[in-house]
Amino acid sequence: MPTDIADEALDFLLARAGLDLTAAQKAELKTVYPGIAAMAQRVRQPRGRMAELAHVYNFGPADLGADLGEDAP
Amino acid sequence: MTDTIPTIAEAARLIAAKRLSPVELTRACLDRVHALDGRLHAFVHLTEGRALAEARLAEAAIMAGGPKGPMHGIPIGLKDIVDTKGIPTTCGSKILEDNVPDADATCAELLAAAGTVLIGKTTTHEFADGGPSFDLPRLPARNPWNTDHFTAGSSSGTGAGIAAGLILGGIGTDTGGSIRGPAALCGIAGIKPTYGLVSRAGVAPAAFSLDHIGPMAWTAEDCALMLQVLAGHDPRDPASADWPVPDYTAGLGSGIKGMKIGVIHHFHEVDYKVSDGVRRGIDAAIATLRGLGAEIREVQLSPLQDWGACGSLISITERAAAYDEWARTRLGDFSERVQRRLMLGALVSGVDYVQAVRRRRELRAELKAAMAGLDVVLTASQTGEAPNLNEVPVWDTFAAPSFTMPFNVAGYPAITVCAGFGAGGLPVAIQLVGRPFEEPGLLRVADAFEKATDFRNARPNLAAAALPA
Repeated sequence: MPTDIADEALDFLLARAGLDLTAAQKAELKTVYPGIAAMAQRVRQPRGRMAELAHVYNFGPADLGADLGEDAP
Repeated sequence: MTDTIPTIAEAARLIAAKRLSPVELTRACLDRVHALDGRLHAFVHLTEGRALAEARLAEAAIMAGGPKGPMHGIPIGLKDIVDTKGIPTTCGSKILEDNVPDADATCAELLAAAGTVLIGKTTTHEFADGGPSFDLPRLPARNPWNTDHFTAGSSSGTGAGIAAGLILGGIGTDTGGSIRGPAALCGIAGIKPTYGLVSRAGVAPAAFSLDHIGPMAWTAEDCALMLQVLAGHDPRDPASADWPVPDYTAGLGSGIKGMKIGVIHHFHEVDYKVSDGVRRGIDAAIATLRGLGAEIREVQLSPLQDWGACGSLISITERAAAYDEWARTRLGDFSERVQRRLMLGALVSGVDYVQAVRRRRELRAELKAAMAGLDVVLTASQTGEAPNLNEVPVWDTFAAPSFTMPFNVAGYPAITVCAGFGAGGLPVAIQLVGRPFEEPGLLRVADAFEKATDFRNARPNLAAAALPA
């Protein structure tokens, strides 16, 4: 992951997020990008594709209540 | 106005013995609010009339049949991100300046049912984030030990209010340290319970998977009394744990001889060096706990920065998601500090977020293994004493790693208690961490530590403190 960000790339990310920033805010945000990049590097461990998924869920009693049948198509 | 401020436990005993009137206690707190809060800014909204009415009701009920529990007639404050029916709840933001909820948050409901007296809503960083901010409808809270200094946040008003004796206890919320930070810098006690132990229903989110609600008070014993009221399953909160609620005060006073306490020295000695005052407080606390008969062991975890990176990426992303609509349409209505926090969301990719959540699983497993055979672990709570309000870094996320975030990442219970006084006579603190749902043991150690030291005997001298006009 690069530790700095080009103006065009930052503009793309901000547009995608729907954030309308001033030039001063963009300039300030660029200065902390290396901090975010360093954090992202720290959580990117060599764990492989079969490592536990981040988001799993279990069906609990509340998901299997009597109303489930009524709502089912 | 009384100069003697009782703890919740002391007040409860006096109230039960009919030697202290809840009305007099409430009036004493309100007198202190009127005398001091113009300078402390602990409250954003006072509920004086309601407080006196609740105190009268409590007094009548207690005179007729005794208290329903130790919180009956106790004056408290609720952080202003906690919904309160019919009472403004602004989250410290222009955006919700006119917001008056039509229902109570679960924690507010439980405390009211226990007979507490609501003095008012306490100051918070905007949406429990950033701060101190001077571009919001209300000014930030000031530290009662020196009003030029920061309280930490985001439960800043609750921390300041308790330290100054304006309330005996209050609610804080903690996504990366927002209970334990103000507890540390204001010299009080604050516990972030196990994730899911206390319902978040009706409390404004900061980051859903890191958010905790918990008590703040002068002592660990008082935190235990409040937690007894707050803990329990709530179907309104999807993260609420369906777990038996033990007696949190049962082990208090029974000593800690033979308990095993791990110390994460590398957090505060290698990963990030704390101030001399905090270091001395930690060293003295270890000696005190050893003197009480605890066995002290060394604990090694991943570097503090790994925990911080994991928690920050999750926090930044979940916050950006929670406030996405307002960030896109009303960014300029947030304080500059919160605008900066929300802007960060654009820099974190979906893969970054998922990797952070995967890392959380690994770090939790690591902490579980490290705590095998231990009752609690001890670490720093803050990097140093309270900074001057004007010296809090704008981008504090990157300024120094957080000593509290690791236990939001893990969801483990953690309490901060006062461990003395450092530079400028400002409080320093330690943080004790327990295994999930083992708050009784955690509170037992914290209580034993407090009772073996004399730090609970000193209150801020507000007459002598530097009080800005």
